[in-house]
Amino acid sequence: MLLTIAALDEDAYGVAIKEDIEQRTDRSISIGALHSTITRLDEKGLIKSWLGDPTQERGGRRKRYFQLTNLGKAALRDMKALRDELWDLSKMKLAFSA
Amino acid sequence: MKPISPPRLAQKLFDWFCADSAVEDLRGDIDELFYVNLSRMPAVKAKLKYWIHTFSLITSYAVKKRKRPTIKHSSFDYTMDMLKSYFVIATRSLAKNKFFTIINVLGLAIGMSISLLLIAMLINVSTYDEFHVNKDRIYRVISKTNIRNNWEFVCSPIPLGEKFKSEYGGSAEIVRIDKSLSAVAEFNGKELPLEGYFVDPNFLKVFTFPLVKGNIATVFSKPHSIIITQEAAERMFGTEDPISKVIKMGTFGEFEVTGILKNLPKNSHMQFDILAPYALFESIQQTQPISASVNPWTVLESSYIYLMVPEKNAETEPDHIEAFMDQVAKDAYTKDMEFKATFDLQALTGIVPGPEYVREIGISWEYTGFVIFGVLTLLILLPACFNYTNISISRALKRSKEIGLRKVVGGQRDQIFLQFILETVIVTLLALGVSYLIFTVLRDEFTAMMVAAEFLDLNPTAFTLACFLAFAIFVGLIAGAVPALYFSKLSPIQALKSKSSSKVSIGSNFRKALVVGQFALSLGFIMGVGITVKQHIATLNYNFGFAQENILDVKLQGVDPNIFRNEFSKLSAVQNVSMSSSVMGVSGPATAWIQKPDEKDSTEVLQMFVDHNYIANLDIKLLSGKSFTDQQESKHDVIVNEEFLKQFKIANPAEALDKTFILAGPDGNRGGEFRIIGVAKNFHYSDLRRPIQSFLFRYDSSQFRYANLKVTSNEMHSTLVNLEAVWKTIGGEKKFEARFFDDEIEDAYSFYFSMIKLCGFLGFLAISISCLGLLGMVVYTSENRMKEIGVRKVMGASSTAIAVLLSKDYMKLMLIAAIIATPVTIFLFDIMLSGTQHYRIPIGAIEVILSLLLMLILGVGTILSQTLRAAKANPVDTLRCE
Repeated sequence: MLLTIAALDEDAYGVAIKEDIEQRTDRSISIGALHSTITRLDEKGLIKSWLGDPTQERGGRRKRYFQLTNLGKAALRDMKALRDELWDLSKMKLAFSA
Repeated sequence: MKPISPPRLAQKLFDWFCADSAVEDLRGDIDELFYVNLSRMPAVKAKLKYWIHTFSLITSYAVKKRKRPTIKHSSFDYTMDMLKSYFVIATRSLAKNKFFTIINVLGLAIGMSISLLLIAMLINVSTYDEFHVNKDRIYRVISKTNIRNNWEFVCSPIPLGEKFKSEYGGSAEIVRIDKSLSAVAEFNGKELPLEGYFVDPNFLKVFTFPLVKGNIATVFSKPHSIIITQEAAERMFGTEDPISKVIKMGTFGEFEVTGILKNLPKNSHMQFDILAPYALFESIQQTQPISASVNPWTVLESSYIYLMVPEKNAETEPDHIEAFMDQVAKDAYTKDMEFKATFDLQALTGIVPGPEYVREIGISWEYTGFVIFGVLTLLILLPACFNYTNISISRALKRSKEIGLRKVVGGQRDQIFLQFILETVIVTLLALGVSYLIFTVLRDEFTAMMVAAEFLDLNPTAFTLACFLAFAIFVGLIAGAVPALYFSKLSPIQALKSKSSSKVSIGSNFRKALVVGQFALSLGFIMGVGITVKQHIATLNYNFGFAQENILDVKLQGVDPNIFRNEFSKLSAVQNVSMSSSVMGVSGPATAWIQKPDEKDSTEVLQMFVDHNYIANLDIKLLSGKSFTDQQESKHDVIVNEEFLKQFKIANPAEALDKTFILAGPDGNRGGEFRIIGVAKNFHYSDLRRPIQSFLFRYDSSQFRYANLKVTSNEMHSTLVNLEAVWKTIGGEKKFEARFFDDEIEDAYSFYFSMIKLCGFLGFLAISISCLGLLGMVVYTSENRMKEIGVRKVMGASSTAIAVLLSKDYMKLMLIAAIIATPVTIFLFDIMLSGTQHYRIPIGAIEVILSLLLMLILGVGTILSQTLRAAKANPVDTLRCE
C-alpha cells in the first residue's frame, strides 16, 4: 500500500490507488478495506493527506490525496532492508530446493 | 437519454449513516468508481457494485474513525452546558411572561392532580399481597358457573375442599377457608362484633401473617381455639394479656385465645379479626346438615380454597391441580344437572387488582373501575395539556423572532426542540408542586367517599414520589411536543421577516377545536351534576305507594314480636306497631316460587312477611279484599299486588279473591297451598332501581325481623329515649337499633351523592381548566390587537362595540360546544340512568338550561373580563409606543 502511494506520487487518491493495486496484483480489493488500511496508516503517521480541488467528474466532490510522510518513507526503507536481509539469508536454501 | 446516476437509496443510506462527518472524499470515490464501472459493464451491475461499495465503506474502519470526531463534538460536557443555557433561558422567558406562566402552571396542576390520585392508587393497589413470602406459589380456586350471567365465583363448594383432602395426590399445600366465622364476641360483659375465617392449620405456614404470641405448631390443636389480631385483641382485652382468655362467640360457643397475630397489612386482600380451626367448621356442618334436597356442589357461599405449590415443581403443579379439578367437576356435575361449574386457579398476585368475581373473600379492586377512572383522568388531563399547547402556539408570534435568530446563528432543529421541551418540563414540574398540594386535599376527600378506600394507603412513598416526578416529566414531553415541533420547524427567514407570518394561523382551526372540546366536556360534567341532583330529589320525593313519614323501623334482634308489640304499644307516642321481615323500599325482599294448582311450571315472585297491622300502618291501598285478620296467624292467606294479577292473567282485583296457588319454598316443605285474600295497589317494595314485579305478603311471625312503629310526637328526642328504655326491658344488652323510614330511604340512594360529588368535582376541574385556557387565549389576542383597538377607538368605535368584536369569535366557539355537548350528554345520561334506575324521571329542560347558563356565564365572564379591559384602554397609550 505504502509503495503504491509512493509510486503514484502526486496522483495518489482512493480510486487511483485501488485501480493501481488491482491492475498490478490482478485481484480486486474492496473500497472499504482500502480506506480502512489508509486510515490506519494515517493514524500511525506513515502517510499524510489533503483535500484536492473539486472536480467535475465526481459531482463537485473533492478528492483526498495521500503522500508518504518521512516516517512512512523510513518505515518503507526499514521494511525493504528487512526483506533484503531475509532474502539474502534464504537465497541459498531457495536455490537448493530449486 | 437521462444520464445514469448511482442508486439514490444507497446514496441516501450512506449520507444518513455518515451524518455530518467529513466523508466527502469517500462518497466521491465510490461515485467515481460507479462512473468508471459504467463504462466497463452494464448499468445494473454497476449499480450493484455501488451498493457493495456503500456497504463495504459503511462497515469499514475508515468511516467508523471519521464518525468519531462528530460524536465527540456533542459530548456530555457540551450537552450539560447547553442544557444549563436552555434552563436559564426557559426560566427567564417564564418569569417574563408571568401571567401565562401562572395560567399554564395552574391549568396543568389542576389537570394533573387527579392523575396523581390515580397513580398513587395504582401503585398502592399493585403492592397488594406482595408481602407474602410465598406469593409466587400461592393460588386460589375460582368457580366458573353457568348461573345468572355465567357468574364466576371466588368461593368454591365445600365438597371440593373435602375432595382435595381425600383424593388429591399432589404435593401442594391445601388451605381451606370459610368466611362464616362472624359473631358478637363476649368477654367479661364486653361485646364486640368480630369477623374472621375458619382455616386449615397450614394457613399460617402458607400466608405470611406472623404471630406475635403463640406457637405456630399448636395454636390450632384444640377445636375451640382462636387466634386474634393485635388490634382486635386491644379492643377486646385492653391491656390484659389475651392468651388463654376465653371469649364467647355467639352460637359458635366459647373459644380459648391461643395466639395473637401481628396486625394485618392494609394491602392484604384478606382482612379478618380472628381465625379458628377449620375442623370446628366441619363439625358444625355435620351437626347442621343442609337439607337433603340441596346438592352441596351447587352451594357457593363462603368457602374458599387456596393452594401453595411446592418450590421444586412450581411450574408443573398448577396444571396437575387444574387437571385434577376438571376431573372432580366432571364427576360432581352430572349430565342431568342444570347447574354446571368448572374450577380454575388464580395466582395470588393476580387477585388485586384483578378481574371481577362474585363473592370476593375480602377487598377487590377490579380492572373495570380503574379503566373508568383512567378515562376520567385522561378527560381532565388532556384538556390541560391542550391548553398548554394552545397558549404556547398562539404565542409563537412573539417567540418566532427569538427562534429565527437562534437558527441564524446556528441553532440546530433538535436543539430548539430540546429547548422548548425543557421549558415545558419546567412548567410541568412547577405544576407538580401545586398539584401535589391539591392531591393531599383530594386524597382525604376521596378516601372518605369510597367504600373500599379504607384499605387504600395513599400516603406517598419514595417510589410514588418518583413516579409523580416521572409523570410530570412525561406530561411535559406530551404537552410540549407539539409547540416544540412547531417552533423547531419555523424557517428562520419567515420567522424574522414578517410579523404577521401566515404560518401562525395554520394552527388556529386546531386551537378552536380544542376550545370547543374543552367546553363541551365541562358542559357535560356540569349537566351531569344537574341531572343527578334532580334525579336524587325526585327519588326522595317519589310516591312509593306507601307512607314513609313518622315510621320508625326497629331491628328485633331476636326479641319475640308479641312481647315487643305489647310493650311498645303501651307508649303514648306509639300509635301503631306492625312487624315485617324486611324494610320496604330499601332492600330487595326474598323470592319464592309459586305455581297455579293445575300447572307444573312455577314462577318466581317476591314475598315479604308482615303482620295484620302492616298494611294499615304503611297506608298501602287495598283494591279489593281485606288485610290479614287480627292476631290470627293466617299462614295460608296472602295479599298480592296488581302486577301479580297481570302475571297470572287475572282480569280484575275482585276476581282474584279466593283463588288458590301452590307455593314451593326452596326446601319444598314450607308454604303449600294458599289463598288470595286481598289485592294491593302497586307500590315500590324495593328501591326504584328495579321494576315492580309480582309480589305477595304473607303472615308468619317466625320471619319477622323488624318492627315498624308509627310515632307521633312533638318531642322526638325524648320519645326516642322512652323507646330505648322500653327496649332495655325486653331486648337486654342488645343495642337499640332504630331508624326512621325516610332516613333509610335517603341512605339507600346515597350513591347519588357520590355521583354528584364526583361529577361536581370533575366538572369543577374541567371548567377551571377550560376557563384558564380561554383566559389565556383571550388575553393573548387582545394584547395582539391592541393597536387595532387603538385605531378603532380613534376612529370612533365605542368600548362596547370593541368588546363585542373581541368576544364574538369565542362566543361562537362556546355555542358550538353547547350544541355538541347537550345532546351527547343527555343521551349518555339517559343510557346510564336507565341502567341504574327503573323508575326515573326524564331529563328535563330546566337542568339542561341551568347548566348551559352556568357555563355561558363562566365563559362569557372570562372573555369579558379581558375584552372589556382591552376595550377601555386609552388609545393614546396603545398607539404611542411604536
